[in-house]
Amino acid sequence: MAREKTTYRMVNENPCNMCMPMGGILPFKGIEESMVIIHGSQGCSTYMRRHIAEHYNEPIDVGSSSLNEKGTVYGGAQNLFQALDNIRKVYRPRLIGILTSCLAETIGEDVEGIARYYLKQRGLEGISLVAVSTPGYGGTHSEGYWLAVKKIVAGLAETTGKHGGINVIVPNLSPADIREIKRILNLMGVRYTLVPDISDTLDRPIARPYTKIPPGGTSIESVRRMPGAAATIQFGVTVEEKLSPGHYLQSEFGVPLYNLPVPMGVEATDRLVDLLAQLSGNSAPQILNMERGRLLDCMVDSHKYNALGSGALFGDPELVYAVARTCAENGLYPAVVATGSGNAILEELLGPILADSPQQARYLNEADFTQIREACRETGVNIAIGHSDGKYLTEREGIPLVRIGFPIHDRVGGQRLLSVGYTGTTMFLDRVTNTILEHKHRNYRAAMYRKFYRKTGIEECPHEKYCAKEVR
Amino acid sequence: MAINEKMLEEILNKYPAKVKRNRKKHILIRDSALETQEIEANTRTIPGIVTNRGCAFAGCKGVVLGPLKDMVHIVHGPIGCAYYSWLTRRNKARADEPKKNFLAYCVSTDMQESDIVFGGEKKLARMIDEVVEIFKPNAITISATCPVGLIGDDIQAVAKAARAKHGLNITAYSCEGYKGVSQSAGHHIANNGLMENIIGEGDWEEPPSKYTINILGEYNIGGDSWEVERILNEIGYEVQAVMTGNGSYEKLKNAHVAQLNLVQCHRSINYIATMLETKYGTPWLKVNFIGIRATIESLRNMARYFGDEALIKRTEEVIEKELAEIEPQLEPYRKICSGKTAFCFVGGSRGHHYQGLYEELGVTTVLAGYEFAHRDDYEGRDVLPNIKADADSKNIPDLHVTPDERRYRLKIPAERMEELKQEIPLSNYKGMIDDMTDGSIVVDDLNHYETEEFIRILKPDIFSSGIKDKYIPQKMGIPTKQLHNYDYSGPYAGFRGAVNFARDVAMGFATPTWNFIMPPWKNQPLLEGTVEDCTANTCVEEVAT
Repeated sequence: MAREKTTYRMVNENPCNMCMPMGGILPFKGIEESMVIIHGSQGCSTYMRRHIAEHYNEPIDVGSSSLNEKGTVYGGAQNLFQALDNIRKVYRPRLIGILTSCLAETIGEDVEGIARYYLKQRGLEGISLVAVSTPGYGGTHSEGYWLAVKKIVAGLAETTGKHGGINVIVPNLSPADIREIKRILNLMGVRYTLVPDISDTLDRPIARPYTKIPPGGTSIESVRRMPGAAATIQFGVTVEEKLSPGHYLQSEFGVPLYNLPVPMGVEATDRLVDLLAQLSGNSAPQILNMERGRLLDCMVDSHKYNALGSGALFGDPELVYAVARTCAENGLYPAVVATGSGNAILEELLGPILADSPQQARYLNEADFTQIREACRETGVNIAIGHSDGKYLTEREGIPLVRIGFPIHDRVGGQRLLSVGYTGTTMFLDRVTNTILEHKHRNYRAAMYRKFYRKTGIEECPHEKYCAKEVR
Repeated sequence: MAINEKMLEEILNKYPAKVKRNRKKHILIRDSALETQEIEANTRTIPGIVTNRGCAFAGCKGVVLGPLKDMVHIVHGPIGCAYYSWLTRRNKARADEPKKNFLAYCVSTDMQESDIVFGGEKKLARMIDEVVEIFKPNAITISATCPVGLIGDDIQAVAKAARAKHGLNITAYSCEGYKGVSQSAGHHIANNGLMENIIGEGDWEEPPSKYTINILGEYNIGGDSWEVERILNEIGYEVQAVMTGNGSYEKLKNAHVAQLNLVQCHRSINYIATMLETKYGTPWLKVNFIGIRATIESLRNMARYFGDEALIKRTEEVIEKELAEIEPQLEPYRKICSGKTAFCFVGGSRGHHYQGLYEELGVTTVLAGYEFAHRDDYEGRDVLPNIKADADSKNIPDLHVTPDERRYRLKIPAERMEELKQEIPLSNYKGMIDDMTDGSIVVDDLNHYETEEFIRILKPDIFSSGIKDKYIPQKMGIPTKQLHNYDYSGPYAGFRGAVNFARDVAMGFATPTWNFIMPPWKNQPLLEGTVEDCTANTCVEEVAT
């Protein structure tokens, strides 16, 4: 495995990641009756609302303290106070997340201090404020996501008696994925608190009456009681300890942590089911065994096609790892694995998978799409798997893209994509296999031309520019 | 249902007292009996109100600079802002020869914590070198995001040095997000920069044809400017530069030769329009290519400005031909749309422009507003002398231009100009309010809460705005039409665009989907009552739901 650093290049050309506060918004959308404010320029909340709304096709309300030039001189506490007042009055939330963006951070706002002072000054009870310091230059949206989850847990957690439930902490997955994880938890008969639960709030059914804060999300009470759980299951093996809510609960409250990969693929889903069986004393119900069997059947059916795939995987580190495992299980070895994050753990974890690969795979840390594109060319990638910015690879290199993760801006239904559990993996693999097949059929003539007629002097294939790499 | 002051009061009562006082000034009910109706606009956004407004960076890089295709637009700052302004407006562009179109590229210095501490100037300078080498663009812009101004990076100096080093037009825009009260500040910054550094850089002294024009404030969303240019070319105009949709440095640098500047979006580009008039003597004409009547009127006004009989005749011929083509296509859509009502809340011009097109389909606009416009966009430019500059607007300095000694020339005689000003909107815009019907609502900087409340009362059949607010009415059971990026459709401008718009709006009304999702007032009574025996005092007691 060859690893590359990006330091020789100054330019970030077509980024593979967004900024920290963007990721920080999402977990707050998975907490019941909560709202979120960005302390900074109002453009931050507007841009992020726009991008999140386009992915989930849902209203995304995010307040802003609308800091302006005056605030940069005198500090922004007054604006934040006003923002909190107005959000409380109109939305009546029980929890307000306060994220910072570049401006507040650069002028050195002590947002936790301001939040504490606000509660005291207004004499408020029954409302929680969770402040998270998320400068745009402090990391990518992945780090912002995990830090916000950790701060929510740390901000609400109370010392409680043991209640025997299980904490489940999830990365940024689709609402459909969260629903599937909850279904598995229910099938295994465990009592759980899943944080953050965006399954209903960011994939909201048409229902009456319309409310400004969507119904659903993890209840604040259950987050408070997380320290009393028998165990924490966190799908966050790529998460640094300082950002990890599971590690926080372990070190502060002694809740045993089971840090697992996202339950995608046979092995990772088995690990979850086995762990749940062990924790609950229940064995997996027949329905799950059937689903597992169907996944295996799917893999048998499609391995012959998938083995022809040479994949480029990119996106959030946690999801990239899950996708890499899943693909490798089916013989679709990744040729390029990339993340916009600066994540050291992912590289280590990928080691054994990439070592099994029949070809030399490339790992790109802190990558942009220009690097990913170059790596794809060099390695002969013929399928890309990741978020919608990978469309660039399709446009420029003719590499088809299977969309997964966040954001998906050029298709509908990103919120409904199911890819976890035995059933979700089956659906994911089908999407991958069918993309490979479609691509193969579409390019059959061009591939044949290249193989047999190129040197005969027949004029260049008219479809050449739409054709991808030759399928090996 | 119309809305009255009392209902307005009830909506605003939900706010804290201070907020209520503020918001009240941003909302009015149209009453043509009053001589003037004043609205507050372009003032600070109330924190926490969940506004749809953006920031100065969005207005500068995102709106005005971004569409210029043969330039690389570097975003100096952490990665987020570059990412969020990466082709998000659907401003389309087709490369001219030699092929240079860099719009699909998002280029940023991706500042990290260490850059914030130690400064990012060196990184920016080295990056410009790389960009020149990789892309070989015709020009480069550098736009600043929030931290840049705060840490004191002198991007103007970096641009100047790079300009000397590479012999390339490299300009910097200090459009940090905290400047001004909305993206409007960024428009102004970009206008100043383009005027100061690019327009007039070219060596042309004479217009290439008899009727050379520029189109200002047209961003080619969904291909709008292509449709407008098609019509103009057919009449015989030569479009020199479009600012900035499908625009280019190569065209822009010679924009000074035009004989007339058309202004489509008054808000975002009026600064350049007035500066071009001062510097080169080129008048500007407020046009509106959204809507059939508005398009026809704009074309006729243009012809009248040039005053050439052949041009006037040709204009009428083209109008006739175009109408013959689209009228039969529009008819079925009109049948579907007729009698409906709409909300029309867009950025700084389209809130006005689309009302006419809706009307032509038989749709009445019952509420309209702008996200970030100024009072003159509502009340007309006559109000300009009365607008007091506040601290926020003073932060964006006006660029003072003087007549160019060599290139200034009157395009038409001064007396003729005065005459024309009485007839056509030459160097003038009368604003949105004037065109609105009595009883309709004008709202500046509409937010989520007010959107919902106004929908409950006015029950529009369609809500037209942007992606951030469109899902609210959709969840309430009301069709929407995005007027920011057209829901990936378009063009909507000109004659053929009107048909596209009619088709899309009609599709919104006619889809069987809505039969499953009735808004509550369609299938539930708004009032419930019981009938009781008549007693001496009361007959029927009504209980509101």
